[in-house]
Amino acid sequence: MNQLSVEKILEVVETEPSADVLSGWLVAVGSHQDRQSFSRLFEFFAPRIKTYMQRLGADSALAEDLMQETMVKLWRKASTYDPARAVPSAWIFRIARNLRIDKIRRQKFYEVEYDQESSVLPDECDSDPIGTSRMDAMYVKEHVKALPADQLAVIHLAYYEGLSHSEICTRLELPLGTVKSRLRLAFGKLREAMGAQS
Amino acid sequence: MNRFHHADDSTLMAHAAGALPEGLSLVLTAHLETCHRCRERVADAEQLGGSMLSELIPDDVSVDSLDRIWGRIDKSECLEKQNPPVDNVAGLPAVLAKYFPGGLDSIHWRMVAPGIRQFIINQVSSERGTVRLFSISPGTTIPHHSHGGTELTLVLRGSFSDEIGRFGPGDLADLDDSVSHQPVADTNEPCICLIATDERLRFTGMFSRLFQPLVGL
Repeated sequence: MNQLSVEKILEVVETEPSADVLSGWLVAVGSHQDRQSFSRLFEFFAPRIKTYMQRLGADSALAEDLMQETMVKLWRKASTYDPARAVPSAWIFRIARNLRIDKIRRQKFYEVEYDQESSVLPDECDSDPIGTSRMDAMYVKEHVKALPADQLAVIHLAYYEGLSHSEICTRLELPLGTVKSRLRLAFGKLREAMGAQS
Repeated sequence: MNRFHHADDSTLMAHAAGALPEGLSLVLTAHLETCHRCRERVADAEQLGGSMLSELIPDDVSVDSLDRIWGRIDKSECLEKQNPPVDNVAGLPAVLAKYFPGGLDSIHWRMVAPGIRQFIINQVSSERGTVRLFSISPGTTIPHHSHGGTELTLVLRGSFSDEIGRFGPGDLADLDDSVSHQPVADTNEPCICLIATDERLRFTGMFSRLFQPLVGL
């Protein structure tokens, strides 16, 4: 077993490794259970997943537990990771989000299973070409920062606080139509930046 | 097919963020199973989620976190097992199979008005709304109503038309309080739809208000 020392692992990673590097680690975990690559993924993602869980309502102990469970799931599901379909941060976000809904909201997260996805062929009409929009998280980040403050605020409430549209309306004292149009506008800009066809 | 037959981007984002009420996400997922266009958009919104996850300020993890994770991994490897897949039910999206193992033809409908029958899925919560199946007989009209919040309607069988257009199997209508409509089943077979709301509906006419207590919307 090739395990890194705890001191080394617990060093805070200030800069995000590129999507290619992260993807290489995730593929190594999936293809040959590479423990060193897993430790590196842990080093970057675990402290952030713990913050995510706390922002979405978990206390420190539960956040620690859910972070560990996310990492265990990452290990187990890594062999299903397909770099052509998702960047590592999005793939790991899905695992963390689903666990959060399951354990904090105590609801089921419905989603199309990965194996179902591959068996469903794209529609003939109005579909986006696959893989045009899978960009570095860093690249997306720059465009998120450039969003107007009112659009950024609704994105934060949805992603970082898990508020539904109606809860955002209550919080910001805005009509539903305004909340939805801010989300739509922000999403349109980000998709455009990601190179997708609208 | 135009964008009115798909989910609104704000609905897809809420789903990806994990912020969509459970009932709405059930209906949306049933649509996603056959809709590549909306699936791709969810993937984009999840990419935004990944980027935002990376952006978070790291918290201190326990000193023994990684050791505990290795412990959980080594333990789980001996008892690794897959969830048994739910059998597919003909004519139903996979995500609905566990709620209707006998398919659409063995549902115990309750009549709510002439030509309109419903079945409420009680196991799924949806803020102040509900998730239900509607079976609308040919030519029957649902009274004119608007929506306090969001209403997602997925056609499972048959079709209906309203002020927005015609909706067939797999089409999704994603409506909010800016829309008031009066759907009518427009073929010679009943139109079966899966509908989730997050608020009570608002019936607009006098007759329609009499209808409201019957439907329990």
